[in-house]
Amino acid sequence: MKVVTGVVGNDIHVVANRLMELSLNARGYEVFNLGVNTHLEEFFDAVVETGANILLISSLNGEAEGWSREVKALKSKYKNLDDLIMMIGGNLAVGRGDAEEIERKYKNYGFDLVCHQIDLNTGLDWLEEFIEKRKTQ
Amino acid sequence: MSQDNEKLLIDVGSTYFKLSTPDSIEQHFRDFNKDILDDLLQKSGSTIERFNKDDVHICSSANGGLSTLIIGLTNSFSLKYATNIAFNSGINIIDTLLYQNIAEYSVPGDLIDVVIIVGGIDSHSNIFGQDLYNYLEQLNYSNIVFVGSEKDANSVAANIDNLAVLPNVIDNRLHIVEEHLKEYLTNLYQQDIMGKEDIKNLYQITSNQIFSTPYVVNQALPHIDASYSVVNPFILLDIGGATTDIHYSKDLVDDNIVTENEFDRLVFKKLGVYKSKQSLIYAAQNNEFTYELLTHLKVTENIFDEQSDKATKVLMQLAIFLVLCKISHYRKAYINLKLLAINSIIITGGITKVLSVEEIENIIAFFYRKILTSDHKPVTILDSNYDIWTLGAKEIKHVD
Ligand code: B12
Repeated sequence: MKVVTGVVGNDIHVVANRLMELSLNARGYEVFNLGVNTHLEEFFDAVVETGANILLISSLNGEAEGWSREVKALKSKYKNLDDLIMMIGGNLAVGRGDAEEIERKYKNYGFDLVCHQIDLNTGLDWLEEFIEKRKTQ
Repeated sequence: MSQDNEKLLIDVGSTYFKLSTPDSIEQHFRDFNKDILDDLLQKSGSTIERFNKDDVHICSSANGGLSTLIIGLTNSFSLKYATNIAFNSGINIIDTLLYQNIAEYSVPGDLIDVVIIVGGIDSHSNIFGQDLYNYLEQLNYSNIVFVGSEKDANSVAANIDNLAVLPNVIDNRLHIVEEHLKEYLTNLYQQDIMGKEDIKNLYQITSNQIFSTPYVVNQALPHIDASYSVVNPFILLDIGGATTDIHYSKDLVDDNIVTENEFDRLVFKKLGVYKSKQSLIYAAQNNEFTYELLTHLKVTENIFDEQSDKATKVLMQLAIFLVLCKISHYRKAYINLKLLAINSIIITGGITKVLSVEEIENIIAFFYRKILTSDHKPVTILDSNYDIWTLGAKEIKHVD
């Protein structure tokens, strides 16, 4: 499966992004890493150019919510992204935040999987479960 | 370098032509009732006679060059990369279409010299289909080239007659691959120049290849800072009769396009002071700062209807302002330049014969104040002796 990943907005925290690429590769995904400092439109455009099945966005510095609010409107301009699996992780609120509340909010913004301060490998396990579940549906 | 002294360099533009010899520069308005060669011989015959065919070097931007329409998948990758390559090959872009919306675009009536189809990395397939073929059926074009996903190339080629297929411009890491499309477009441009009857006749006075003017200017750019008091990064504005060319240092763009070029080019097709005068005025009337600028220059809108030296000057000043506007706001052009980082602005073309440095600096200062609310003041350099073009022509001769 193809995954587009990167860190959204003006965020330059690069360590998790590098680890993410390594882990995804190790799990057998074909990875397109846009790196840090990536605009929302570039994420969707990269999905279109690569034919990716999964979009995995990281946000570490507190910008996540601002960008996520624009996801639905932007995604609706694309005609063939209905089956795209959308995932976001990192620090999705400023401070610790209430995980359940955060998850509800981001699902509303259009994400299938929300990983607020969740360890990378746990998050990727969730992704696999999600993919399995989808197959059987 | 001493042999350079025996060369004659000729540039044929859409509005005027110019000749450069070791000791003089001549410039003449073209007479459109005449063939270019006849016109040249009549106005500068005595100069041309002094040189052997081997020592005459000609370039041309007459007819504004080739036009292209690009059909691609996304703004951030395929369309952007193909646009960048087309501009750098000296081609003018009529329009760029997002493939997913192709059925909603109107079909341009003009003949398109070359259609570029682009999109998808090589492992992606089934991207292009019937929508594309339906659109192309209504379009009037001379050449068509596919530079998208390798996996789609066969099916696209089976549906489009005379399709040229080249390696993808997007690699598997989503980076740009320029060389194949660039070479194809540059050759096409070259063939087009040589195919034009007018231009063919010019081979009566030269035995060297005739190049396109943007190509010649591009060759000069890496050497400009050695010959002028230019400080990098810089932009070069060539405001001509029909189009305006901007060449800029790569340092001025913050972008996902990573190439080895030090300089890129951008063209505004309908921005010129003679042939494109009407569309320039139209653009000015639709710019909210124009009236303030006219007031600043102490003239009124009536100047647009006047035929005077003063009117030409104002039009040229407006052209500078409008070009800077077009590259200043995000997404107005396909790229926006970091204008506050520019250290030098070089102005070349016929405009240098009409405006003084002060008149140009006045406009540039107005632009920075009004649009960018800044006192930034890049050094303005007037290329009034066509040194840049001469430099480029010499560079090409060395390559020959
Ligand atoms: C190093 C660091 C920096 C460095 C970054 C260097 C670099 N180029 O990477 C510098 C000094 C430049 C920096 C700058 C800033 N930082 Co900083 N930084 C950190 C720090 C100390 C470590 C980050 C790190 O690399 N961790 C190691 C990696 C492996 O862990 P991680 O990033 O947390 O990622 C893990 C998980 O989140 C997860 N993950 C990440 N993405 C995803 C996605 C999915 C789908 C899943 C499942 C999991 C997942 O995987 C990783 C491993 O498990 C953290 C604090 C901390 N201890 O976390 C603050 C921190 C991230 N920074 C913070 C802030 C506020 C800033 C600044 C705004 C500070 C400022 N005022 O200037 C700037 C922003 C700069 C910018 N434009 O982005 C805050 C963010 C607050 C928030 N979001 O609520 C933090 C949390 C510090 C804090 N507690 O306040 N920072």
